[in-house]
Amino acid sequence: MNAPLLDVKNLRVDLPTERGLLHAVRGIDFHVNRGEMLCLVGESGCGKSMTSLALMGLLPRRAVRTADHIRFDGVDLQTLPEKGMTALRGARMAMIFQEPMTSLNPSYTLGDQLCEALRAHRKVTAAEARDRAVHLLERAGVPQAADRMRQYPHQLSGGLRQRVMIAMALMCGPDLIIADEPTTALDVTIQAQILRLIRELQKEFGTAVVFITHDLGVVARIADRVAVMYAGEVIETAPVGELFARPTHPYTRGLLNCIPVRGKTLPGSHLQAIPGVVPSLVGEVRGCAFANRCSFVQPACAETPPYVALNDRHAVRCVHAQTEMAEAA
Amino acid sequence: MNVDVDPTPTPSDVIALELCALTRVYQLKRGLFRTPGQIKAVDDVSLRIRKGETLGLVGESGCGKSTLAKMLLGLLAPTSGNVLINGREIDPTRREALARSVQPIFQDPYSSLNPRRTVADIVGVPLRLHQVGTHAEQAKRVKEMLDLVGMPERTHRQYPNQLSGGQRQRVAIARALVLRPEILICDEPTSALDVSVQAQILNLLLDLKAEFGLTYLFISHDLGVVEHLVDRVAVMHRGQVVELGTREQIFARPEHAYTRMLLASALTPEPGLGIPDIERALPLAVA
Repeated sequence: MNAPLLDVKNLRVDLPTERGLLHAVRGIDFHVNRGEMLCLVGESGCGKSMTSLALMGLLPRRAVRTADHIRFDGVDLQTLPEKGMTALRGARMAMIFQEPMTSLNPSYTLGDQLCEALRAHRKVTAAEARDRAVHLLERAGVPQAADRMRQYPHQLSGGLRQRVMIAMALMCGPDLIIADEPTTALDVTIQAQILRLIRELQKEFGTAVVFITHDLGVVARIADRVAVMYAGEVIETAPVGELFARPTHPYTRGLLNCIPVRGKTLPGSHLQAIPGVVPSLVGEVRGCAFANRCSFVQPACAETPPYVALNDRHAVRCVHAQTEMAEAA
Repeated sequence: MNVDVDPTPTPSDVIALELCALTRVYQLKRGLFRTPGQIKAVDDVSLRIRKGETLGLVGESGCGKSTLAKMLLGLLAPTSGNVLINGREIDPTRREALARSVQPIFQDPYSSLNPRRTVADIVGVPLRLHQVGTHAEQAKRVKEMLDLVGMPERTHRQYPNQLSGGQRQRVAIARALVLRPEILICDEPTSALDVSVQAQILNLLLDLKAEFGLTYLFISHDLGVVEHLVDRVAVMHRGQVVELGTREQIFARPEHAYTRMLLASALTPEPGLGIPDIERALPLAVA
């Protein structure tokens, strides 16, 4: 198998706060293969958005990013000067945010904004840039694309704006797109259309996507592979089918059990809630971060659990996985 | 737990809440020389909710479900039509009488709690406004209510910014219930919460309903949650109720094209099913 497009080892993000150092991302490893859809899933505060900003080099100024390596197509992004990152961003790595209204400039036409990215990175004429923009808008399902080029963001509905953002991300033909909750602000019928579009275009252009979401329904339907995050760590990673069929970390199991599912959950019955709340990430977290909410907690959980590979594609950060593996061997 | 309300866990024949041809029109002024337009945010909606029943109201943004909720709470006057509570028409000039029977729980527990008041203060406000009991009785009732919604005693003196989202929503629920209303209008009560916390709040709503025989109007865009919680469902689209039926009817045998589209769009956590092709199946829905 070829080397992964993106390979991240021991990524950490620390944020100084009034109460002390907040460890938003606590040493995560993951990789994304070319043309693959990796879903980063987790609840608020688990570090999934900080991870995406760290990859793009867009963290808030006071945040501190460290890693053993963040290798993108063989180059460690940490060794790149800011100029090198700028050349990469938008051209080979693009980002789609949750709220397109805040990432589109209200005072420029869509055409200007779409063409700007391409002309900043590639030597193309204005007419070539325009043609590509119209083509991608059409491909993204924007009706009357040529006319829309003269419109401003406020003239579009939320669904259309997100289609424009997707077209914009594709302008330079990137190898990797990071999509941070791109459909969370949309209605369900529009969400299904946008997700389908992302999936189709990803396959058509062979783009790798890191898709960040809190919604397990979205994960099930769109992912190739999933990394589940909790309290700044990746606690389980597996291909999507295996994750839903054999969730192994107690947190992953808890997440899957607490949503009502048609045909599975008895209406009106008690849902299996996960008790307690996420621990504070200010200061050092000792041992397993999930231990205080876990019904399988044991003394060994006071130590940092190992990252156990159940097979070559499924890994879990839990002491129980280790004992299960030992028993099976 | 003490119960001083008749517990009726199953829906009875008594109509707790009735909406008769409820309509709300918004006037639009577009520029100086154009003729003013109109939007019917809620268009001739008639519904009956039985005592002890949970009616789900589903629909997408802009369908009029929040406008409807505001009219039920007396926060917005209907353009025409009326609302009956226990068979009596609500008097828009007497909001406090309405507040005794109908209380809201809103989506965002971050903006619906006063940041300068403690948890106990916030829950006590309705009792003070309605002058229920003595000071000591009020304090006792506040404590009982907070215990009931699972707020540990140490949190009663805290401020909202010291609480998690789930705890804030528990406080909002305690405040809504402290006057012992019969009807709760829940407007997307778990949409702002993480799924693990959502399950805690849904369980709490189920428990409180069984304990107090409450009637819920449960507004949500999450069909999984609606199916879990409600007895009947009303589907709203462009201000109108396009389909009304029992949970089984709506989820197993939807009839209206819009209901079918909503159900087809819902992404259940089942890998291998892929993403539904809404555009091709139902071309009316292009964003």
